[in-house]
Amino acid sequence: MTLPYPPNNAVMNLPRRDAKDKLLGRTRYTVDDGGHGTLHAAARRSEVASGRIVKIDVTPALSMPGVKAIATHEDAPGLHGIGIADHPLFAKDVVRYHGEPLAVVAATTVAQARAAAAAILVEIDPIAPVLTMAEALAKDAPLIHPDWATYEILREGAARGGNVAWEATVVRGDTDAAFARDDVTIVEGTYRVGRQSHVPFEPRAVVASYDDGRFHIHTSTQVPWTVRHVTAKVLGVPEAAVHVTVPAVGGGFGLKFDCSLEPFAAILARKTGRKVSLVNSRREEQMTCLSRENADILIRSAVTPEGDIVGREATVLMDCGAYGGEQVFLTTMTAHTLGGNYRLGSVKIASQAVYTNTPPNGAFRACNGVYNTFALECHTDEICKAIGMDPLTFRRRNVVGHGDIGATGQVFEGDVLRPMLDLAIDTYGPHERAKKGPDGRLYGRATTVGTWFIFVGPSSATVHLNVDGSATLVTSGVEIGSGTMVQSLPQIVAANLGIHPDAVIVKTADTDASGRDLGVGGGRTTVSIGAASQEACAEVRSKLLAVASQMLQTPQDDLVLTQGRVEIRGRPGSGTSIQTVIAQAELEHGPVSGSGAFTAPGIAAMPGCAAGHFIDAIDIPVFAVHDCDVAVDPDTGKVEILAYRVIQDVGRALNPRAIHGQIQGGVTQGIGYALHEEITINAEGAFDQTCFSSYRIPTALDTLPIDYHLYEGAPSCGPLGTKGAGEVPILNVGATLACAVANAIGTPVNALPLTAPRVLGLIDGLSSGVDLSHLSRHWHENTIAFSK
Amino acid sequence: MMLTLMINGDPVPYHGDPRRSLLEVLREDLHLTGTKDVCGEGFCGACTVQIDGVPKVSCLLPVGSLAGAEITTIEGVSNIETLTAVQKAFLEYDVVQCGMCFPGMVLSMTHFMAENPSPTRAELKSAMTGNICRCTGYERIIDALISLGADGFGSADEVCP
Repeated sequence: MTLPYPPNNAVMNLPRRDAKDKLLGRTRYTVDDGGHGTLHAAARRSEVASGRIVKIDVTPALSMPGVKAIATHEDAPGLHGIGIADHPLFAKDVVRYHGEPLAVVAATTVAQARAAAAAILVEIDPIAPVLTMAEALAKDAPLIHPDWATYEILREGAARGGNVAWEATVVRGDTDAAFARDDVTIVEGTYRVGRQSHVPFEPRAVVASYDDGRFHIHTSTQVPWTVRHVTAKVLGVPEAAVHVTVPAVGGGFGLKFDCSLEPFAAILARKTGRKVSLVNSRREEQMTCLSRENADILIRSAVTPEGDIVGREATVLMDCGAYGGEQVFLTTMTAHTLGGNYRLGSVKIASQAVYTNTPPNGAFRACNGVYNTFALECHTDEICKAIGMDPLTFRRRNVVGHGDIGATGQVFEGDVLRPMLDLAIDTYGPHERAKKGPDGRLYGRATTVGTWFIFVGPSSATVHLNVDGSATLVTSGVEIGSGTMVQSLPQIVAANLGIHPDAVIVKTADTDASGRDLGVGGGRTTVSIGAASQEACAEVRSKLLAVASQMLQTPQDDLVLTQGRVEIRGRPGSGTSIQTVIAQAELEHGPVSGSGAFTAPGIAAMPGCAAGHFIDAIDIPVFAVHDCDVAVDPDTGKVEILAYRVIQDVGRALNPRAIHGQIQGGVTQGIGYALHEEITINAEGAFDQTCFSSYRIPTALDTLPIDYHLYEGAPSCGPLGTKGAGEVPILNVGATLACAVANAIGTPVNALPLTAPRVLGLIDGLSSGVDLSHLSRHWHENTIAFSK
Repeated sequence: MMLTLMINGDPVPYHGDPRRSLLEVLREDLHLTGTKDVCGEGFCGACTVQIDGVPKVSCLLPVGSLAGAEITTIEGVSNIETLTAVQKAFLEYDVVQCGMCFPGMVLSMTHFMAENPSPTRAELKSAMTGNICRCTGYERIIDALISLGADGFGSADEVCP
């Protein structure tokens, strides 16, 4: 589409309109909304990881002070899920994880609700829990969902069975022949990562009411339409009976990409007829965090002496916890993350979501990509070592470029990664040999590449042009902190209509006012909602210019919208104010508005090579090159990051300063993941880290100023050639730090986080490596679809 | 127990349990929701207030210990018309993201800058460790504070690119 305005009109460092109130403490998040007359709710959760429910008796709790209502599984009969409907709102006959909701109580105060929740009589016969994927995949493993075969299938085409909730596979070319060649070196790597907790400062929270036969859910979410859909599904009511609004969200990072507490509050609101607030305590928030999943990864590659990857076989086990959730979808991503970055002669990939009796996992910024990039880049450096090739040379030779095909056979457009790598080499210089410094520390550097994608899918937008010359943008977008709703979207609308972004009113998400949207996540908001907004603006422009054309006796093509005026091209001051044209348009046709829609263009894959995938190809690939220097203290294992550099493919940077904020913040979150954020699961199936003092997120002393370069001009179907920029910065941080540490200490790294004890174990040769004896070196044996 | 709390210059009678945290009283009784309840264990600094001008985490302060103290919350630091220099710098440098940590960050760093008008980057980072932020990665907040440095301070090489 040719733009009716110079694209640079949309580029500016527009400040955030929500910053002032946030700095004054005036912003009202969902957790701040629970005024007079609001009831407060609390959940009773399971304290065993697996068991048969003998009794849940709410009678004594119901008569406690302040208690207004209690809800259990009887109030929410439906099952929900992604791909498969396997998830009840409340445990019914069995408990599948520590922390699973059994009941919720509404009372006058939070303290009363918590006291009553604790007083509910619960009797559960414990069953030995299945806490690891190795246990879950053992031959005689108990089934976490014995009725898995009877669940409603929401998306056809995946192999499932036993404790495997979902399997996605890729088979392209003949890897057997590649591995059998006599000129190849076969390199094998095993990797393991733990979970990462989002720790949004605003926990999951909701305020619900029930008026005129409809639920009004005011909630801290990234996905208002998912909340609407899931609430209706589990309550067994029409979706039209659910109305969702979203105020400022105090951090999401993917955690709020699922419906969570909303249906509980909705049920209690209907039972009591009152407004009900439900807010996770910090302990609950941590204990039931839909974390970035732990994963076990096996990669084998057949590489020629020249450095061609002629065959690659990989298996990725993703722990989905007790219910499938996002991991079912995310099995799709392995093809594009682990199977990404490099040209592969032939490839087989299996990606499974595996049930365990642990808290369900979810989406987290660059989900799946972060650990698969870690594994892939560590493996790449190990390949280079095995064949004796410089890692930068190897990467330059093998990264996907214009016309190359990806794992699922999609054809990539444009050379992006190679010029980004060249820029890194030109700017940061070639790698020096790792060395021991005069201070006794071990110095290393690494440069890694990463492939992510922009999650597109449906968005809609309506633009109303008001008589005062302002415009109102109505979408289901949510401001989670990334700035999309207060920066890039008003910038896009303003550039389209020739007005200042301050004159663009951005409506907060309201499912009664706006069309459907997939949600804020996956870097998609600027792209998808931006594209829908641009289309809506095009309709507004054409209506406005038709009227202006009459008024100014000038063909529409010769009119431009600029600085709040309609001008005759090349003759500033010749036209009239936009308000005058709007007034005339109202007289002739009524108020001026336009609507727009966007969805995934659907890039083609090679038919037949991907199975169980939700998308076969990535519509908007995004690439990143990261580079860092580290120093490792051989006596303590402490890793210090000396410099960290990012070259990020952004398509077009609409607000470079805001993107810098995303890079600085995203890399810092990645540093936490790579070095010190660790979740361990104890014998009870609960997380050991339930608070800030035990789960170590980065402080100011754990990060450094990130050097960055915004790489522009790569192809994108996004509006003005944009790609989302907020998701990607975390993508290869774990990879880069791991490769740099491996380089410094001269020992491969195969697990994250690189806590000081773990690094010391690697240096001292005490680390026993990652035991993946539950995975076979015969790829097909790891699959359901291809096992013989 | 009855006591009088001085909150943002106003006397506020309190009749409850003296062991309740100031944070809970501010948010639940007085609806001063600018003070944020995040970690609940004195670790993150989001609930920071000033007690007699000194930053303290309100989640660990029993209200019974505060009779006679001047309590300043984020609502009392400034108003819509007049931001403090720290708030202005945070606005100007576009450092805010989700915003949940900023009320505490403003109260802590306003006090720190008053005591140390020309801090180094390292001093600022140390001072900021009691205020955790999950979004921003801190460095741009530090850039903003460095811009407030006294004469001759805040040279360009101290500020990230």
